[in-house]
Amino acid sequence: MSTVPATGVFDGRRDIRLVGRQVHYEQLSFWLNPVGAVFTVGFSVVFLVLLGASAGSSRISFYRNIKLIQYYVPGFVAYGVMAACFNILAITLVNRREMGLLKRLRLSPLPTWVLLVAILVSTMIIAVVQVVLLLAVGRIGFGVHLPANLVAFIVAVVVGMLSFSALGVAMSTVVPNQDAAGPVVSIVFFVLLFLSGLWFPLRPGSGLSQFSAYFPVHHFIAAVFAPFSTERGVSPWAWNDLLVVAVWGVAGAIVAVRRWQWSPRRG
Amino acid sequence: MQHLAKSYGPKRAVVDVSFEVERGEVFALLGPNGAGKTTTIEILEGFRPRDAGQVETLGVDPASPRTQRWLRSRIGVVLQELAVEPFYSVRQVLTRNAGFYPSPRPVGEVIELVGLSDKADARVKTLSGGQQRRLDVGLGIVGHPELLFLDEPTTGLDPSGRRDSWKLIRTLAAEGTTVLLTTHYMDEVEALADRVAVLSDARIVASGTPSSLGGRDSGAVTIRFGLPHGIAPAELPLPAEPATDGMVEIHTEEELRVLHTLTGWALEQGVMLHGLSVLRVTLEDVYLKLTRGEP
Repeated sequence: MSTVPATGVFDGRRDIRLVGRQVHYEQLSFWLNPVGAVFTVGFSVVFLVLLGASAGSSRISFYRNIKLIQYYVPGFVAYGVMAACFNILAITLVNRREMGLLKRLRLSPLPTWVLLVAILVSTMIIAVVQVVLLLAVGRIGFGVHLPANLVAFIVAVVVGMLSFSALGVAMSTVVPNQDAAGPVVSIVFFVLLFLSGLWFPLRPGSGLSQFSAYFPVHHFIAAVFAPFSTERGVSPWAWNDLLVVAVWGVAGAIVAVRRWQWSPRRG
Repeated sequence: MQHLAKSYGPKRAVVDVSFEVERGEVFALLGPNGAGKTTTIEILEGFRPRDAGQVETLGVDPASPRTQRWLRSRIGVVLQELAVEPFYSVRQVLTRNAGFYPSPRPVGEVIELVGLSDKADARVKTLSGGQQRRLDVGLGIVGHPELLFLDEPTTGLDPSGRRDSWKLIRTLAAEGTTVLLTTHYMDEVEALADRVAVLSDARIVASGTPSSLGGRDSGAVTIRFGLPHGIAPAELPLPAEPATDGMVEIHTEEELRVLHTLTGWALEQGVMLHGLSVLRVTLEDVYLKLTRGEP
């Protein structure tokens, strides 16, 4: 025996610094791929601009007759969060697992929790960048006011980031290989988005709205939408919707922890 | 200090494997694909749990979570598959990984050691396969490991790339790094390993120094030659066996005496021994014999 092993998985300030450092490298890894980064972040902005332009001054008769664009901005904020936390995270994790990158990091002394926290923080940074961009486009491009209740808005976004990150990790454990990652994740994602009223608001009581009530996407859009309301008597807190999103997040976290794998699956 | 390693598993991957690697030694696990080499070293690295047996790596149980971080800061691992993020530069990814370790090797030194000085700022994805492989080795040694695991380090490299890798492994060994490598190349074992264990079908079938493996150092040779028509092997002054191709073979450990007797007899009798040759057992013969289960 040369030295007594310095034990423990937590090493105080050194590990906190390590998280910061790792977040920096995670961000670098994302932005160093400019095509990927611009495409990912730009996608939501482009979509909002196109839909906003085509919506013109239409109003939603069954939604207190608000302007369609007032619905689209919160909807795309929700989309930005889900795209970063669910879509990008799931595809990135599958790629890293199948390339052996996760295994290699597992064999380094970098603690697992530092790696995972750094990945989550980095994902959330990407989500926040999108949220800010979308709010800015909504405000400047379409004159949509910022959320009236900022606290409720932030709470909704944070709950969504955590839940959809958990679902993203869970999704990555289900996808068998790198080739399937993009198509499988995107199909699940876009089908749910479509059925959940991102492109067009769902009429309450319709079959689609009953169907989408089982999934978290529609509820998340509703939870992000509520804090924008300036009307008297309309609560900025959509507690029921947030609860559904959180329950899905917990379920995702359970699947993620149970099925997590460091080695390539090559299925 | 000794690295004691042992594992007995009911799974077919590794059935009953025992060996020890001394500090500062280059130890090779030799075996065909699927023999259990990777499983064995993954257990030693602490990546895979074992089913049974006792294992110590650098004096600690690699499966123990209490010492895992300590252990991982003192070992280096080069995996079989290339695993480097494509968008970082060589320097960036090495700098990132150096930060994981308590006393890393300077990044500049690593880049020089693996011969990537002129590619230091190139993106990983622009490197050739051989260069990526070298970067992979660089990531394995950036933590200044006491024990380095190399899983088939030269598979897929061209001949000059292999020579460079060998040189690097010798340099590291000379610095006192213990190296445990797996390979299915015989020449690699002969060139690098102090000791070797042959793994076949989940078991160790032989171990020792490369030159002693399978009794190679006993000096046993085969003397082969052809006799002219009309002369039967029975007429020889020594017991000989006919080979399948019409040649005659004498197996002996007394090469000089037998050759002397044989050639003396041939000169006396005026008999040509055409194609006379002395064959030594190569490591490859031993390996093929061991891994095919031939007698």
